[in-house]
Amino acid sequence: MKYTPRELADNVNVSHNHPLAELAWLVGGLVVIVAIISLGFWWLAELVVPRVPVDVEVWAGKQLLEKYRYQENPDLTKLLHTLLQTLPPKSPLRTYDFSVHVADNEAVNAMALPGGQIMVFSGLLKQVRSENELAMVLGHELGHYAHRDHLRGLGRGLGVTLALAMFFGQDSALAGLASDLFLGMEMSYSRQQETAADAFGLDMLVAGYGHAGGATDFFSRLAGQAGGTFPYLLASHPHPGDRIVVLRKMIAQKGYPLGNTVPWKISKPSGNK
Amino acid sequence: MILTNVNTVPGKKIVEHFGIVQGSTVRAKHVGRDIMAGLKNLVGGELKGYTELLQDAREEAVQRMTEQARQLGANAVVNIRFATSSVAQGAAELFAYGTAVRVE
Amino acid sequence: MEIVTRYFDLIVFLALLTLGYTAGSFAERKHYASIVRREREQLTFQVMTAEAFFAEGRVKKAFLVSGSAVISIDYFKRMLAILRNIFGGRIKAYESLVDRARREAILRMKEQAIGNGAHMVVNLRLETSTIGNSANRKGKLGSVEVVAYGTAVALNPR
Repeated sequence: MKYTPRELADNVNVSHNHPLAELAWLVGGLVVIVAIISLGFWWLAELVVPRVPVDVEVWAGKQLLEKYRYQENPDLTKLLHTLLQTLPPKSPLRTYDFSVHVADNEAVNAMALPGGQIMVFSGLLKQVRSENELAMVLGHELGHYAHRDHLRGLGRGLGVTLALAMFFGQDSALAGLASDLFLGMEMSYSRQQETAADAFGLDMLVAGYGHAGGATDFFSRLAGQAGGTFPYLLASHPHPGDRIVVLRKMIAQKGYPLGNTVPWKISKPSGNK
Repeated sequence: MILTNVNTVPGKKIVEHFGIVQGSTVRAKHVGRDIMAGLKNLVGGELKGYTELLQDAREEAVQRMTEQARQLGANAVVNIRFATSSVAQGAAELFAYGTAVRVE
Repeated sequence: MEIVTRYFDLIVFLALLTLGYTAGSFAERKHYASIVRREREQLTFQVMTAEAFFAEGRVKKAFLVSGSAVISIDYFKRMLAILRNIFGGRIKAYESLVDRARREAILRMKEQAIGNGAHMVVNLRLETSTIGNSANRKGKLGSVEVVAYGTAVALNPR
């Protein structure tokens, strides 16, 4: 058998399109699918959340809470309970057994966890100057409970996590990374929800102290440090500057008086690490 | 293009050969199919989705191999062998190779 | 600075992706250039999958030759393959991986045959196996091994 050496013109076993183009298509497709699934869960959460009894939520919150470790802060809890006194006796918030915890984290933030556990980051406490400001922050979180935003957020986060786990499998590196990114969103709410919570917090502040003094102080301090609006496009809360504008408008509309603020003494929580 | 898996093309005389030609493709089924296959695994039976996937892929591998043979100026591929391997989870590589020849 | 600490995972991931893409495509181009050059050098050496029959006294010696190569996939292509797994279809990222491994293995087998004075390789067989079976799982290698083997034949001068 005679052998005729010949060279191949091109490599048919390898596709010739650009890998970056393929990446763009795949990522685009994935984003669309995850968005659809998350919207589905979001819609489901909207449907179910107003019907979940508070008892069930408190129970679920207790289960969740066992996984975390942080200190209860009696000073803050006391402040919260004085605020709660002003609520009407029929308020659904009365069914919660609220307590405030402090977590060591430099972020200036607070979270409403299921079952009436409010988590305040120590970074936020460092920024606070007056009791009124703190009451405003706590009132804001209570607003989330009153509107049941915390459950909606949880539902959405769960949806995204489930969708990602379904695609990538539970233990793949990519799923871990993606859920890390999306879990940040779990506790974040829409702008309307934040504004509504701000309004609730303002009402609580006025009910507790008789005036709206200090309502915007905290945000103006934040706005001083915040810099441009750009990082806030992705952040969980609106830009403090915008919040001040909205709060001032509310105060003017409802005709709340402004008074002097009570200074907050920075007390280190006892028995702390 | 004549394809055989024996040494010759029966009934024809091989004039010259051009060495080996090969075709391969790596394929995966989408997640939906994987999930359905997972369910099917509970009761057993044929995984139609996968049969189809492998059949498609094998056809493409053969097609790529004959394309190589055509580029070399051959009109037949003899002694073809197939191989399957799983390069990644959920993905299968189908591979076909043979000797490109010209017959009378 | 705060952004860096907050999205540390993401930044590491993107850095690895960029590194994988640039280093991976550079290495692939270099490897292909070397494969093409060596294939050209060995072009006149004949290899076939068919058995060959030789006249009596024609063969000086016959011996088994083999060549193998383990090629790994870069981070970028691995991510691409994971994404492709969701949608199904042709995993283009892995095509060059197996193609390179196979051609490299055949080249090494031919080199061994040429080095031992053979004139041709008959009855070539190729085997592919994966190292760390689930290549897109965390902590597993995404690599293929190809082994090429055949019978090298050295002929007597006519």
